Amino acid sequence: MARKNTFARRTPTDIALHVWGIIVFIYLFVPIAVIIAYSFNNGKVLANFQDFGLGAYISGINNDVIISSVVTSLQAALGTAIVATIFGTLGGVALARARRGALWALGLTGLLGLTLVTPEIVDGISFLPWFVTVGVDWGVSPLNNGLVRLIISHAMFSMAIVTFIVRARLAGIDTRLEDAAADLGATPWNRFKDIILPIAAPGIFAGALMSFTVSLDNTILSSFVQQPGYTPWPVYIFSAVRVALRPEVAAISTLMFLLTLLALAFVAVVLRKTGGSSTEIIKTMAP
Amino acid sequence: MSTQTHPTTRSDASPNTGPNPKTGTPPKLGSKSDRFATRVFGAAAMSFPTWAYVLFFFIAPVALVVFYSFGYKPDQFTAVATDQLSFDRYPEAMSGAFVTTFFATLRISVLGTILCLLIALPFAYWLAIKVSPARRSLALALVMVPFWTNFLVRTLGWQIMLSPDGFLSNWMQGLGLLDAPLDILYTRTAVQIGVVYNYLPLMILPLFVAIDASGHKLREASYDLGAGKVTTFLKVTLPMAMPGVVSGCLLVFIPLNGDYVTATVLGGASGSMIGQLIANQFNTAQNWALGAAMAMILIIATLAVVGIGFALLWLGRTIAARINSVQLTDGRV
Amino acid sequence: MGQNPDVRFLAPRTAAARLSRRAVLAGFGVVGLGALSACGRNTKMAASPAVDGKLESKLNLYSWGDYDNPALIDAFRSKNDVLVQVDSYGSNEELIAKLSTSRGTSGYDVVVPTGSNIPQMLKHNLLQELDFSLIPNFAHVDPNFTDQYFDPGNKHSICKAWGTTGYVYNTTKISREMTSWQDFIDVAQDEAAGTTSLLEDPWEVSALALASLGYSLNTEDEGELEEARTILLEKVAPNVKAYIGNVATGMIQGSFTLLQAFNGDARQGMSEVPDPENWKFVFPTPSANLWMDNWAIATGAPHPDAAHAFINHMLNPDTAIEQLDYIGYPIGIKGLEELAVKADLTQPELIFPTQKVLDRLEASKQTPADQIRTKIFADAQARSGA
Repeated sequence: MARKNTFARRTPTDIALHVWGIIVFIYLFVPIAVIIAYSFNNGKVLANFQDFGLGAYISGINNDVIISSVVTSLQAALGTAIVATIFGTLGGVALARARRGALWALGLTGLLGLTLVTPEIVDGISFLPWFVTVGVDWGVSPLNNGLVRLIISHAMFSMAIVTFIVRARLAGIDTRLEDAAADLGATPWNRFKDIILPIAAPGIFAGALMSFTVSLDNTILSSFVQQPGYTPWPVYIFSAVRVALRPEVAAISTLMFLLTLLALAFVAVVLRKTGGSSTEIIKTMAP
Repeated sequence: MSTQTHPTTRSDASPNTGPNPKTGTPPKLGSKSDRFATRVFGAAAMSFPTWAYVLFFFIAPVALVVFYSFGYKPDQFTAVATDQLSFDRYPEAMSGAFVTTFFATLRISVLGTILCLLIALPFAYWLAIKVSPARRSLALALVMVPFWTNFLVRTLGWQIMLSPDGFLSNWMQGLGLLDAPLDILYTRTAVQIGVVYNYLPLMILPLFVAIDASGHKLREASYDLGAGKVTTFLKVTLPMAMPGVVSGCLLVFIPLNGDYVTATVLGGASGSMIGQLIANQFNTAQNWALGAAMAMILIIATLAVVGIGFALLWLGRTIAARINSVQLTDGRV
Repeated sequence: MGQNPDVRFLAPRTAAARLSRRAVLAGFGVVGLGALSACGRNTKMAASPAVDGKLESKLNLYSWGDYDNPALIDAFRSKNDVLVQVDSYGSNEELIAKLSTSRGTSGYDVVVPTGSNIPQMLKHNLLQELDFSLIPNFAHVDPNFTDQYFDPGNKHSICKAWGTTGYVYNTTKISREMTSWQDFIDVAQDEAAGTTSLLEDPWEVSALALASLGYSLNTEDEGELEEARTILLEKVAPNVKAYIGNVATGMIQGSFTLLQAFNGDARQGMSEVPDPENWKFVFPTPSANLWMDNWAIATGAPHPDAAHAFINHMLNPDTAIEQLDYIGYPIGIKGLEELAVKADLTQPELIFPTQKVLDRLEASKQTPADQIRTKIFADAQARSGA
């Protein structure tokens, strides 16, 4: 029906909207296209295109520091997704089952909301002294590890997102389902595992995906808590900006872009198999 | 997002009927009351890890910074001392450079949010209503793709493009559109372009979800009742999209206000944003007390702007409600 | 504060465990804040592992931007199978902030502070003592550059490179002949308005105004600094487009015509721009900084063996010319100037200032007035952004 509408009633407004849509898409993709184009720059400096070639790809892949920063980013993103998803799912389920007006639930919602409205830079400057206090002064030495610091700080950042997604997902379920299961003798664990989790699953998945993305993209927070040796990719680029950007940065970014596309395609295929639609997932993810 | 800011509105979505343990209605069966107790206890207990995490890794560090903001910098090599507490850092932060940069930042972020909204609204409308459902998933995925590409890399794309020796500048000069090299890089305009670009997907998505949720039926009904396109848009689509507008603006404005990466890459000296100033207190000047006070002012100002936004929204809604006697359904996302 | 680390070394493991348990408890109750306020200032540093003669697999170098020939770093990497990560800073303040904030957990091994900053860094225990048995190439360092006032006996640092500050300008945009800091200030308000860049360094920025006024660059006189501040804020800052640590990037990007620069960075920029003949570097009158950067190892460095090996590698006289040609600063190796003449490097006059220039330079020092300089710098940056 919608399709028929689209083509049958093409008013000037519709045409203007279509043009606008295309312009916005161009705007969204132009910088990415520029980076891809410049990744084939064989010159010494990224911004100064000299001649076409794959030199940047070869030296980028052979640059251990670049590769290790990409690996650090992926590790941190994976760790963040795991930590944020576990804590966020527990929080989301708990909030969804909370008695109306329960103080602990209001408090938790408020605090998580607060984590979302706190500017990232404030998180960044807070984390560094805190990690030093706990790690050095109190002797909790795991906190002196760069990867642990990245995961903890990123997870804090995305925990609220996971919690709220899971809670929203569970908000509509009938609590009588659980009551019925309990009447039939299901243990609390079984009720959690067999009723809550399957219903929450799409939300949990969306939350995990979101926290993975947020971690992979994070620059400001990471630049405060990062340690050399555990420099995530965005922070590597950020410090390269100040010296001289080499085309390798564009080459590796292009490769990561292609991998992202593949991963998205994979997710889309999985969703199609499991019966979810990507539109639904994106709707779940949009806060 | 709207649900987070109004925690109490959550319960109206719960479709429970009959004896509702959530609202504390006394259960009919005695055996259920024990279960009720265990479940509430279970939910509270289940939230414990999340509570603990947020307390230990959010509240404690932020509280530490709040505490630092009352301290002072004793000498060149000590970042902060807190043996004498005072409010002195706040007036110090509010003097001189901070205020100018602060208002420049506020201008960039408010203007950026408005531009994002203006660009995203017709786009999201187009996406939700004019694009055929078959292509919509692809189109949505395309909106998400830049979001999945590192935002610093995208900003670098702009840096290359806006550079006076860059290809865009050369083309425009070649075509006679410009008679001197493009002079945008390291200006506030460049920062504005960069932030609007970087935060646009965060505006598009909630808007899309809200407009999509408003449903075709209501619009069809509106047409059937004789309303024109403009009326339908203003009276049906736009009110229904409001939650999306609100969460989109929050999602864009808050991180934008504290951003300094975009400004560092594109802004040079003239595009400096408040985040850089705060970061400098920690990264170079080593004055944690002053930096912490600046950060507190940033949070308070951000919340104040958000508060003003909500107040305006409430005012707008109240007036609109007076005008439209017909109450539309609550546009929850 | 200096003695604290020793306490850490001696603390038995059980004590650490007890601490961590208390830490967790305190954290959950957010009682931690009370404990912190009781401590007031906390200055404990995390300890570095001891040198054990075995190279670690990683090394983290924190240095000025693009300050080592990548080929030499690569050679070190492939010879010893050590992954070297290089991060950069734009000012000594940034380095010190990073080291002192993280109190031994910065993760950096080798750092390159400027000499003037070393006494304070030592006082705050940010650098560890070097083990010269692991740096045999120290024998090749020119005695002119050892045993400096900031580190008698070279216990903690070894000369890495020295240089001076000046400016570089594009002669196609600025036709007048520039020689002094006063010229810099004049041109910044005229031909180079909006295309000027300054260094990211509070001392250097205030020094350009102090020099134009004829005052000592290290002055602690508040009146003189106030005059410098007025010049910077009213004449220079409004015309400044960016504050850049390493000018080579700025020269390549093409947004600038006049850049305050260290001599070697300017030479490096000239080697990368398409039109080096259009750029000119000035050793300005009446004075400028004479600085010496030094290899040092950070307290708490996680890879001390690799750090010593790396410093030793970089002091190898066989590769001195490669390093010199890349960075454009004289490194403190014996007989370097003769080697340079033999190697026929481009623009040697930018690497080695003449004796006449050297005579008028003034080495930067840290003084209590540096806080004023930091404030001037912050205000100048904000003024440029307004």
